[in-house]
This record gives sequence, structure tokens and C-alpha cells, in this order.
Amino acid sequence: MSAPLVTRQDEFLKTDELFINLGPQHPSTHGVLRVGLTVKGEVIVKAVPDVGYLHRGTEKLSEVRGYHHCVVLTDRWDYVAAMPNNLVFCLAAEKLMNLQVPERANYLRTIMCELNRIASHLLFFGTYGIDIGAFTPFLYAFREREMVLDLFEMACGARLTYNYIRLGGVMSDITPEWTSKTREFLDYFKARLEEYDSLLTYNPIFQDRTKTVGLVSADQAIAWGLSGPNLRASGVDYDARKFEPYAAYDKVRFEVPLGKGGSCFDRYFCRVREMGESVRIVEQCLDQMKEGEFMAKGVAKVPKPQPGEAYAHVEGARGNLGIYLVSDGGQSPYRMHVRAPSFINLAILQEILEGKKVADVIAILGSIDIVLGEVDR
Amino acid sequence: MNAEELLSRLGAQFAGIEKTSVAVKDYPTVRLSDPSALGAVFSWLKKQGFEYLDMITAVDYKGPVSPKGYVMDPNPNAFLPEGATPQVEAPTATPGFPYREAIELVYCASHLKGKLKLFLKVELPRQNPSAPSLAGLFKTADWQEREVFDLLGVRFEGHPNLTKILTPDFIQGHPLRKDYEHVPDRFDR
Amino acid sequence: MGVILERLPGVAKGLPGGELLLTTADTVIDWGRKSSVWPLTFGLACCAIEMMASYASRFDFDRMGVIPRPTPRQADVMIVAGTVVKKMADPIIQIYHQMPEPRFVISMGSCANCGGPYWDSYSVVKGVDKIIPVDVYIAGCPPRPEALQYAVIKLQEKIMKMKLAATRGAAPQQASGSRELDPAKALG
Repeated sequence: MSAPLVTRQDEFLKTDELFINLGPQHPSTHGVLRVGLTVKGEVIVKAVPDVGYLHRGTEKLSEVRGYHHCVVLTDRWDYVAAMPNNLVFCLAAEKLMNLQVPERANYLRTIMCELNRIASHLLFFGTYGIDIGAFTPFLYAFREREMVLDLFEMACGARLTYNYIRLGGVMSDITPEWTSKTREFLDYFKARLEEYDSLLTYNPIFQDRTKTVGLVSADQAIAWGLSGPNLRASGVDYDARKFEPYAAYDKVRFEVPLGKGGSCFDRYFCRVREMGESVRIVEQCLDQMKEGEFMAKGVAKVPKPQPGEAYAHVEGARGNLGIYLVSDGGQSPYRMHVRAPSFINLAILQEILEGKKVADVIAILGSIDIVLGEVDR
Repeated sequence: MNAEELLSRLGAQFAGIEKTSVAVKDYPTVRLSDPSALGAVFSWLKKQGFEYLDMITAVDYKGPVSPKGYVMDPNPNAFLPEGATPQVEAPTATPGFPYREAIELVYCASHLKGKLKLFLKVELPRQNPSAPSLAGLFKTADWQEREVFDLLGVRFEGHPNLTKILTPDFIQGHPLRKDYEHVPDRFDR
Repeated sequence: MGVILERLPGVAKGLPGGELLLTTADTVIDWGRKSSVWPLTFGLACCAIEMMASYASRFDFDRMGVIPRPTPRQADVMIVAGTVVKKMADPIIQIYHQMPEPRFVISMGSCANCGGPYWDSYSVVKGVDKIIPVDVYIAGCPPRPEALQYAVIKLQEKIMKMKLAATRGAAPQQASGSRELDPAKALG
């Protein structure tokens, strides 16, 4: 009579599907993201991300604001790296208005965007450590991040929402004191990058936890429209700075770090190496920059561009950030659409979480590095 | 492949494709007259190397935006001190701009190796606009089409899960339509 | 603790010299409360990044007894850091009701105060005080970490004025509880 015994054991081990609600208030979702997880035992059967908990209607608001006012709205999409947001809107609007930006302003824009990339990736470095279970990197990362924010504060007076890059140039010029402080920071930061590597990158526990998790193949990454370090971690070379150089990126030399396997570790490692490249770019810009105007002459106080359409895209900290702008000749944009990298990157979550263990959810979610302000806009 | 070559090949392949009068600045822009050919055009483009779909969006060309779509009077001049010159006026119709009863879908696809971007536009009627979904071809179309559906009310036929994505369930209508009227809800008191 | 606090005013008032006893108890309990204001790790938008900065190396919130708690059940104060969107409003009310009494709310930044740059948006609640009572408001977009720390100091001052006998342990504002927006869907 062995058969009933087996049945009883089966019944004992049988697992039902269980629905777990992750978020919208959860310490590891990096904001107000909600993921509906259906799990069977430890394995995820279905994952449904639910966004919109920070939908502020920016695109609708831009239709009644002036072009200068819209720059303020852009700050608050990707609030961790706001400079590229300012830049992409200004690039699109300048295309509509046929504005020529002075040389020095282009360099200043590049410097600020790259410093902001460092600040943003530092935040990722810190919070990803927490996601994986290491708290110390957070404190190290924020130590350096505060220094970058100090530089921004010196340049434009704000720590997060800068509104520094304006239509036709930048808000204000930098001082020689700023330049020397920035050089000081860059020298200091290069040594810190090695420290990060020994602290987290080459930590065996961290590597075990991330190297075989959340694999995204190159085809998959392209099909889902990933961009930024998420795409490049899968080995696809697509960087708006090289694809269509804007600002002063055609005048500096830098490499685009590529990953191989598209694992969580690759995505992490791409970002860490991008910080090193950003340091290189800022140094070259500081060397090459000449004195001159920082703002184009004759920028209207209430611009009224000719009817037309423009698209501009930049490499934001999270990926390919694009703006599609339609003008009907009025004082506000007729339509503004944001190609938000976080929103598009996040969609892949429903595919790559399937079949993974519950413990890996946060590791994968954290490695995609989303900012909810940009997801929902 | 450069832009001219692409446009001529695209025109030869598909009858309904023509250059637009107003192009997206600095990018090749084409218009497709028949929305039902979208799937065929994009599967052809995908074979040519345009495998990266950047963006799907839509524009409502009805006219200037209605102030009723906002919770309060959206005029920012209300915050100016007494006697200051007004900054931005409420949107008004610009004479000469082709306002029409149409919603225009805008697609942007990239050729990653050729460093080329192509913009493709399809015009739909404002009443019950619908277009075939690209979610089978490009997975990124899944959420972007949902966003367009949520904010502009374009139905994508064959989409696996065409539901609201950004706005809360109780918001009626499609906010990015120019004639959207906001109905005050329990949070607007 | 809860039971003691609830019964203490009634018992102590009946005793000779009970008022003095209560005053001393007030001081001790309030001092304990103010020295360990544990906020909920609850970030909504931009201000949440500044909130994280306040916990981190330079600003070091720990020295004020402020240690983030990931669950509302263990938290004393909710820092509403960022834009309150209509879709998020119901979860916020729910989280607020999950927090134990006495609970406090700090509204951080212009968006949480009044809607901020989104004052005319169709999907933003114009101020978190439309849905839950707020103790301290911080101006700024986003406020600096120092401003958040000042808000916590102000909250501590407020806590020191709390009296057990008058409030039965709850914060003054919480006597009426949060505003039920839709009676049919009332939570809590």
C-alpha cells in the first residue's frame, strides 16, 4: 500500500498560486511603483507592473505654459538627473526657433550633464547596494554625491531641480573658483572609483547575487526598446552621444562601456564604468573651454516659434531621452511628448521576472534603475 | 543606407507612402495614407534594419487646448504682481495652421548601425480612431500604445492588453485630447 | 504601553497630587517620543531624494533619533515627500491609518503643501492636507535636507507640548482623524 502515501506527500508539498502586492509603498521599489506578483512557491509565474502613481500630467500642462516655463517642468521628470532633461527640451525648442547656442554654453551643458550623470549613477550605486543587502555603499556614494551637488549649488543655486540649461544657452557662467573646485573633485573622485570597485564590484557575494540574474539578450533588449546602460549591458552599442552628437560631445573623446551578457551585474558595471568616462569628458571640456558668451543673444522673453515639429534626443542618465515638440506658432508648445527611457525600460520587467525567484525581484528591479517621475511624468 | 535612398525604396515598396509637407526637423519623415498598412510597413522596415522602435505618440489637431481640461484656470499670469506685463497668454488659434478633425499617430524607428532615424505619421479620424497594433512586431509597443490609448483614446486593434496605464480609473476621457474637459472628482474639493 | 497610557489620566486624576504626577509623566513620555521620531520610508517624488540625502552621510538624521522604518506599523511620522497624485491618494490614506497613534505627518515640499508646479493639473491632489491632517509644512521645491531637519525639530517641539490628559495619548490634530473623502469608500 504505497500509493496513498505518495498522494499524501504530494498533497503536503502542493503549492497554490499566491498573489503578492509589491508597492506602491515599498522601500525597495524606488518610488511609487506597484508590481503585482503571482508566485507559485518561490517561483514567479506572472509579474504585472502597475505604474501611474506619480502621473502628474506634465504633457498636458506644457500646452498652457510658455517655453521658458516648460524647462521648469522638465526638471521634475528624472529628478535624479535633471540636467539632461533641461537640455533635451532646450535642444528641441532651439531647433524650432533656429537658435544658435554659443560655443561656451555647449561646453557648460556637457559638463553639467556629465556631472549629473555621476550624481545619478552614484545614487544608483548606493541604492543598488541596499537592494542587494549591503548598506555601506549607500553612505560612501552619498558622501561623493553631496560634493557634486555642492558644485551644482555653486553654479545655479539648486541641489536637485536646476533649471540651469535655458533656451539659448545656460543660466549663468561658471567662476574660476568653480573650475578649480571641480578639478579638485574629479581628482578626488577617480581614487574613489577604485574604492567602489573593491567595496562592491569585486565583492564575491555581490557578484554571486547579480551575475546570473536578470539576463537580457541583445535581441530582447532591442525588441523592448531598452536604452542607456540597460541596452549597452546587453552588448548593443547605442548611445545618443555617439549616434547624433549634441552639445560638445563631438569634440571630446570617450568610450561607451559595453557589457556582454546583459545580467544585473553587467548593467551595474556599465554604470560604474560610465562614471569614469564622465570624469574624462568633464576634464576634457574644462581643458578645451574658451572664454565667451554663455547665452545666445536675442532670445525672446515669450518665444513664439514658427509652426513646425522637432525631435531631439539626448543620452540621459537612464537612457535615450527624447522630446517630440509640435508648435502651432503660439506661445506654448502645441504638443510635447517625452520619450521617457525609464517608462520604456520598465516594461521589460513583465518578461524577465517570469520564472525567477522571489528573492531576485528587487535585484532585477533595482538594476533597471528607474525613476518614477520619469516613468509616469 | 542614407535618408534619400530609404525614402525612395520605401516609396517604391508601398503605394500609400509620401513625404510630409511639414517634416520633423532634421529627420526623414513620411506619411502613410492607409493605417491598415502599418503592420506591413513596419515589418518591411524591421527587415531593413529598423529594428529599434523609439517612440509611439499621437497629436490631436483639433485646435488650441481647452482651458476646461485643467482643474483651475491655467493662466499663470494670475501669480504676477499688480501692474506686471503678462507673460503667457491662453492658447489661441493661429491663423494658417492646419487644424483639423484628426489625430495623427507618430512613430519613430531607428537603424542602429546606419545611425538613421525615420519618422512615420498616420492620420486617423477623431471619432473612434483605431490603428493596428505593433505589439507583435516590437514588444516596446505594448506600453507605449497603452499610453497613447490612455491619454488620447486611440484604439490599437490586436493589442494584448489595451487598458489604462497612467491615469487613475475614475478619470473620464482622454486628457491629452484638446477638448478634454475635467470633471471634478472627490479630490478636487 | 497603550493600555497604561489610556487608563493613566483617569487613575492619576483621582489620586491626591495626581495632576503633578501626570505633568511629570507627560514630560517623560514626551521626551521619549521626541527623541525617537521614526519616519516611514515613504518617498513619492523629487523630495524623496532629498529625504534620502538627509539620512545619508553628510546630514546624518540618526543623530536626532530619526531612523527610517520600512513598515507603517512601526513608524511615528510619515514624511509625505513629493507630489500626491490622485491614484496614490487612497494608498496614502490607507498607510496613514495603518500607523499607530500618536502619528504625525510632515508635508515636505510645495507639491505636498499645495500642488506646487502642478496647481492646475488634472491628476494631482492639491495638497496632502486635503486627505490627511498635517503637523508640519516645509516650503521648497525641493526643500533642502536642513529644512527637513528643522521640520523635525519643530515637530519635536510640538511633541513636547503634548498632554496625556487632554488627548488620551493622541496628537492634537488626530482627534478627528483623517478626512473621509468618499463615505461609501471610507477606509480605516
